[in-house]
Amino acid sequence: MRLLIFLILLTLLVSACGHVQTPTAELNVAQVKEVTTDPDAAVWRDVPLHISKMIPQDLVDPRVMEPSTSEVQVKAITDGTQIAFRLEWIDPTQNDVPGPKHFLDGCAVQIPARIDPNVPAPQMGEAGKTVEIAFWRADWQAIVDGRATDDIRTIYPNATVDHYPSQARSLEGNPQALAEAAARYSPARAVGNRRGGPREQPVEDMLAEGPGTLSPAADTTSKGKGIKTKTGWSVVIARQVPAGFSPGTPTQSAFAVWEAAHGEVGARKMRTGWVPMILK
Amino acid sequence: MARVNNWQLGREMSYWYPESRPEKQFAAVFDTNKCIACQTCTLACKTTWTSGKGQEYMLWNNVETKPYGFYPLAWDLNLLEMLDGQQWSERDGKTVYEGSTIFESAPAGERVLGWRPSDEDYAYPNVGEDDCSGGVDGGASLEGTHDMAWFYYLARICNHCTYPACLASCPRGSIYKRPEDGIVLVDQGRCRGYQECVRGCPYKKVFFNPITSTSEKCIACFPKIEQGLAPQCFENCIGKIRMAGFLNTPDKAQADNPLDYLVHIKKVALPLFPQFGLEPNVYYIPPIHVPTTFTRQMFGPGVDKAVEVYRNAPNDPDLTSLLGLFGSTAQITRRWKRVGDKAIGMDEHGKELVSVPFREPVHIRPAYDKLYQITRTNCP
Repeated sequence: MRLLIFLILLTLLVSACGHVQTPTAELNVAQVKEVTTDPDAAVWRDVPLHISKMIPQDLVDPRVMEPSTSEVQVKAITDGTQIAFRLEWIDPTQNDVPGPKHFLDGCAVQIPARIDPNVPAPQMGEAGKTVEIAFWRADWQAIVDGRATDDIRTIYPNATVDHYPSQARSLEGNPQALAEAAARYSPARAVGNRRGGPREQPVEDMLAEGPGTLSPAADTTSKGKGIKTKTGWSVVIARQVPAGFSPGTPTQSAFAVWEAAHGEVGARKMRTGWVPMILK
Repeated sequence: MARVNNWQLGREMSYWYPESRPEKQFAAVFDTNKCIACQTCTLACKTTWTSGKGQEYMLWNNVETKPYGFYPLAWDLNLLEMLDGQQWSERDGKTVYEGSTIFESAPAGERVLGWRPSDEDYAYPNVGEDDCSGGVDGGASLEGTHDMAWFYYLARICNHCTYPACLASCPRGSIYKRPEDGIVLVDQGRCRGYQECVRGCPYKKVFFNPITSTSEKCIACFPKIEQGLAPQCFENCIGKIRMAGFLNTPDKAQADNPLDYLVHIKKVALPLFPQFGLEPNVYYIPPIHVPTTFTRQMFGPGVDKAVEVYRNAPNDPDLTSLLGLFGSTAQITRRWKRVGDKAIGMDEHGKELVSVPFREPVHIRPAYDKLYQITRTNCP
């Protein structure tokens, strides 16, 4: 009887400890029937785990001088068309509201634009050797999850506003005039810069050929979803499979994490080096 | 870092990019002695440029009461404390800044020495600045002199600096200085809202828009500048404290250029915190009633001479006439001259834009009006 109780307790203890995996040195991409953007989906459970050590971005100023996020846990799956990465890291605070001196939690996946033995520099590529970056940001996730946009009261609930030209009573019934008035006082939107505002996905696709060259891709086709966990973030970024990526042709991936509470934004970030990415 | 010449410091200094001066540099002179803080400039700017969502707290133009007013809070004191006291000296007949600029003081990992205001720092523009700091008992009166019985109004816009710290701070090169007129702009298509420019600008004249997630700043009303017109905050200034124009470097100063005359020849208008090292292009005629122990820190070592020159203006018809041209036309006065008791403002081709008498006729009316057989009291 005592042995039976011991075995039951042991079973409970093991299951309580969760699913322990031995991390792999490279990122092994598991083949699945269908890619998901849900970080909690069951499909992730048995996918090989890779743990990447992170270091501060140290090529250009400004930079973080005190390291923050020490590692990122990565899993990857593919259905042959899409490849999804799940990034998990420790971050005790949730920073998803923009404002002066308020930054935003985020993460990114970087892949060489071309599979080539002559790999681009891991810090955002280099001239003539483009890298593709899919970037997820916590405020974009909040917007996709339903937070109102374009309302200052979302950020400052007690704010009062006398008047916006884009809501002028004299323009009521004339949507085009109202839209023009809004654009007049929103120069970034007027030129197509979509850093803020309504969006379909919490992810943006970008290209870079070295630090400071980051620019949006023609279209964002990547998708994603991020969930704040008790200890940090669990984020899935799903993008198109890199051209030529196959069991016989490995490539690389690299990751970056921004911990907003640590003042991380733009070049102030923690990053990995290139991680070999293999399709089993 | 490159070595560049900063004439306001009397020496070379380190800057993120090599020296590259524009074809002509937009600049301005503000006469602090005339400002009454009516905030008409602030509203002219606000209604023209920052009435949109995410711009609610932004004042590209603001007027604050010195010494206790700030927008954002302690914008100048914070950086002065970080610079920790610096010195000017006389060297070979030249006044030279011996201290470090914000570029030369940049800590490891940073492009400039800077700090970031929080949203609360922007929350109370002008609140309490002109109020008594405590209760006043009934019957109380001010007796004798008081060291701090002074204040003045400081109107501020972007300085469109020759060496902008916002531009140097941006790791993406999203900020540029127009080669045709030196106006500093944020490329709204390229900006990703890192707020490095907000941190780097010592004058705190770049603002983060939380709705568009990009940074925005004073554009010197460049659509007007391109048409030869002064910016909104200049045209609408009812105190006529402002003059817009283009400034040459001291070695190319032209006496018939109003700004060159005030800045380089008369040296009556001074840069705001030249020790920061940005070679700012808005110049101030310092307040003449304020102890220069205070204004010397704010406007540099030329402040005593500037006050002396300004006080002597009644005996200086040229200076008096030019001061009378301030706010006299909506157009940018590129050249000027004095003809008798009149100041003539001209465009760049010498065509007259405005003619202003600087000595108005004085009529002294007798107290007793014979026509109506009444006595009137003349008010001074």
